[in-house]
Amino acid sequence: MELEERARDSADNCIACTSCVAVCPVTKANPDYRGPKLVGPAHNRMHFSDESDYEDSLKLCSNCKNCDITCPNGVSVATLNMLERAKYYKAHPEKHTQADQMLSHNFQMADMLKSIPFGRTCANIGMSIGEAMGMMGAMGIAPQRKSPRFATKYFREMYKEIKQPEGLTKEVLFFPGCFIDVNDPEVGVAFVKVMNANGYKVLMDDRFKCCGSPLVVGGYLDEARSHADNNVAIINEYAAKNIPVIACCTSCSLMLKAEYTELFAQEEMAQAAKNVYDAFEFLTILAEKGELKKVHVSSDKKFIYHAPCHLRAQGMGMPAVDLLKEIGVNIDSADAGCCGMSGSYGFHKENYETSMKIGSELFDKINASGAHKVVCDCGTCREQIKHGTNAKTTHPIQVLAKAYEQ
Amino acid sequence: MVKDKATVVVVGGGATGVGILRDLSMRGIDALLIEKLDMVNGASSRYHGLLHSGARYAVRDQEAAKECIEENTILRRIGKSCVEAISGMFVQVEGDDPDFVDPWVKGCAESGIKTRELSKEEAWSLEPNLSRKLVRAFEVPDGAIDGFRMSWQNVQSAVRYGGRYKTYTELIKINIESGAVKSITVRDNVTKEEYDIECEILVNAAGPWAGKVAQMAGLDCSVSPSKGTLIAFNQRISNRVVNRLRKPSNGDIFVPHGSITILGTSSITIPDPEDTSTSWEEVEELMKTGEGVFEHLRDYRILRVFAGSRPLYVPKGADGGRNASRGFVTLDHEKEDGLKGMMTICGGKFTTYRLMAEKFCDVLAPKLGNTAKCRTAEEDLVPAVSEADKKAARQYFPSYGVNLAATRLGTEKFPEVVKTLKENPETREVLCECENVTMAEVMRIAQEPTSHSVADVRRRTRLGMGTCQGNYCAIRSAAIANKLFKDKLEGCGDSLSDMKNFLQARWKGITPVMAGKTLREAEMTRGMYEVLFNVNGGRR
Ligand SMILES: Cc1cc2nc3c(=O)[nH]c(=O)nc-3n(C[C@H](O)[C@H](O)[C@H](O)COP(=O)(O)OP(=O)(O)OC[C@H]3O[C@@H](n4cnc5c(N)ncnc54)[C@H](O)[C@@H]3O)c2cc1C
Ligand code: SF4
Ligand code: SF4
Repeated sequence: MELEERARDSADNCIACTSCVAVCPVTKANPDYRGPKLVGPAHNRMHFSDESDYEDSLKLCSNCKNCDITCPNGVSVATLNMLERAKYYKAHPEKHTQADQMLSHNFQMADMLKSIPFGRTCANIGMSIGEAMGMMGAMGIAPQRKSPRFATKYFREMYKEIKQPEGLTKEVLFFPGCFIDVNDPEVGVAFVKVMNANGYKVLMDDRFKCCGSPLVVGGYLDEARSHADNNVAIINEYAAKNIPVIACCTSCSLMLKAEYTELFAQEEMAQAAKNVYDAFEFLTILAEKGELKKVHVSSDKKFIYHAPCHLRAQGMGMPAVDLLKEIGVNIDSADAGCCGMSGSYGFHKENYETSMKIGSELFDKINASGAHKVVCDCGTCREQIKHGTNAKTTHPIQVLAKAYEQ
Repeated sequence: MVKDKATVVVVGGGATGVGILRDLSMRGIDALLIEKLDMVNGASSRYHGLLHSGARYAVRDQEAAKECIEENTILRRIGKSCVEAISGMFVQVEGDDPDFVDPWVKGCAESGIKTRELSKEEAWSLEPNLSRKLVRAFEVPDGAIDGFRMSWQNVQSAVRYGGRYKTYTELIKINIESGAVKSITVRDNVTKEEYDIECEILVNAAGPWAGKVAQMAGLDCSVSPSKGTLIAFNQRISNRVVNRLRKPSNGDIFVPHGSITILGTSSITIPDPEDTSTSWEEVEELMKTGEGVFEHLRDYRILRVFAGSRPLYVPKGADGGRNASRGFVTLDHEKEDGLKGMMTICGGKFTTYRLMAEKFCDVLAPKLGNTAKCRTAEEDLVPAVSEADKKAARQYFPSYGVNLAATRLGTEKFPEVVKTLKENPETREVLCECENVTMAEVMRIAQEPTSHSVADVRRRTRLGMGTCQGNYCAIRSAAIANKLFKDKLEGCGDSLSDMKNFLQARWKGITPVMAGKTLREAEMTRGMYEVLFNVNGGRR
């Protein structure tokens, strides 16, 4: 197959229309950021003039992808930014902060704690103490935030204990991603329930590594590449067996579906992308074929939905809301743009204010909605919503799993 | 009415004219250059910008090849602020005559041009966009040279030695008394005033217009303008000059220049050097050939097309005194035609402009009893902006803007702009986001006595020469610049018509390539100016 144009080449498409600047949440909240048009495609032409120069405000880009979503000419603005950031850190590895290191390598920490008896409990207690003592701030992590706690049992451990019904003939491979695996395993459990109810056995493959999204944002592109190569090989292996790969985290699915190819321009990545689905995208396809388990929700309890930027960047609407509405759930989209968290972005001390400012529109809408719970596909968005509103949050797959239980 | 006088008046602000102005001034001769429009109005900006290594001439004309490599070496040394000291490649692709290579390699060696054969893999790793049909590749010391900066820097150098210049000053009449040039009549093209300038020697360095200037003195000097068309792409397709390794023909050369790449060129004899029109057919021809070297050429965005005329000299019969083989001629009209006080220089190349000036002034200076030696190769054109100044500037300039602004502005204006940026944060606004030009720089250049329109500012800053071709900077700079023009000179400063003229000139280069990505941009321009701002008032 012929690869479509590389991200770098896509800069040539920019007509300088400035639409991306108009929608960039960071530009709006923080005037120090020079904005996607200039930092992405415009500077892409100018790097020749001084290889050692660097656009300082590039560190403010959150990789939320609202620029890409809006661009009428298919410029991969956010990826241009990430490639440039990676180039900088490759030349200046010493510029990485402790916070960069930690926030980009959560998966390493998680693996390490798993191998220590009571490691996670101790780490969680440690975190509470650390937060109380202001240690987070010293490391460059926003002291206002409560770091997501490690689950006492990770999803990969829980999975082994789940008894899936006998005789399921159809199979899917689950890509849990770090957040669901170590911080919010209940989402994974709900996913298995839903898939089982629809006649699918859920497989796991322990060779999967973190999708690499936090590494890319942190400027650790070579590491991200090794994760990509690893994951893509596995996905293609299952593709050969006609087993689709499904993720419940929209940042993971965006990474597997689009960003690998944009960043690294490898044909096998474009190939693998075709075998990856977001959970609700997959369920919608089942529904269209009339294969989705029928259920009707009679409760009138009100939900409000927040669409993660990385879901919107996939260009497939909001399958979770549509599907939940279809089965009678009282749910509406908040339609309030970016929540401001953007993965690990909002955890950085220097981004905290920007992050909260960006989220304020969403927080206001949630507070005014009277909804009893906020539904959102993205784990870190949910953290931000809890932090900004005190509202209860849930993943849409958990709402569906509940509906199936009735 | 006589309003001015100079020992030597040089007509023509192209490479040839500015080279002579500098050379004369350094020899201590009082010289004044006049240019009918803005500096480098002719071939010296409407050209390819290749600082020839000479390799292109290695087979056909070794003398030219030798001149090129010598001048190339000198310009790399004295012109650090206008030369991009990159290298070049000659590439042969499938279908090119393999027998051309050996004589070419030999020709280069004999002319003193270093070549190094690269393996295909090496060539691709250096220039990843090169065609997969590559057969052989050689590295040569080609470079790129910016016509705008080079010419202004020569003028600045001349000014330090007492040289003078007047732009927008057109020669319209040569006044001859008893077989000698007495004075010239010029028209100020801004104020429309006409006046005389007395001189002892008039130098006709009008490039492709040289024939017309000679006619004003009743002389016949057969210069035939030869038009060449060039395509500017939106980005650097390669980081080296890339030439096709074959018998020189149209569309053979890609030159990266700053943020863009220029592909060219063609050669058509035209009657009038004012004709800078281009057509889709010429573009197609260049693209077809260019695809041989970069197979995905059509995926790249074209910014615009432009054309210029070479001043080709056609010798009259086999006249021994007129030596056309060296690529340029020096005509002493006293010897040739019995007219005292007038000389013409014609032909040549941009790359050899300094040498041309040297040879020419070696003939001219003794006429004035001046025996000073040429020193133009010994001294830098302009002093370089210091690293300390550049470092201090970084906190106020947009990123990737410091080096470019420093070489454009020079040691005098650069610190002034930095000071403005520092003291007046509002002027840090980037007016041209495609080429990274700040408001402070635009304001500084608009204040120059030679700036009368945004187009003049453009030529000295690159404002409006990038991706959006003036879409945003036209409206942002027209008002700011025109206010300064108005303060300077009565009658100037109509910002609306200046903005429209500016866009119209950009438009001229866009229309022949109105397709694909370029068309999208054009539609944006139309939407903004015609629909949103209604600049034409609804009239067609
Ligand atoms: C398409 C093309 C590509 C080229 N590429 C290269 C290259 O890559 N490398 C290279 O070395 N050379 C190149 N050349 C050749 C080079 O551009 C020319 O040889 C050189 O620029 C000629 O300079 P000039 O000063 O003689 O003429 P010009 O630059 O044309 O200058 C003549 C000036 O005289 C002015 N003038 C005319 N009449 C009057 C008047 N009556 N009063 C006052 N002023 C007047 C004009 O406005 C003009 O500015 C190229 C040429 C062309 C056309
Ligand atoms: S990714 Fe988000 S923060 Fe970065 S430039 Fe695009 S819209 Fe702005
Ligand atoms: S939206 Fe796209 S085309 Fe418009 S300025 Fe941004 S990158 Fe360029």
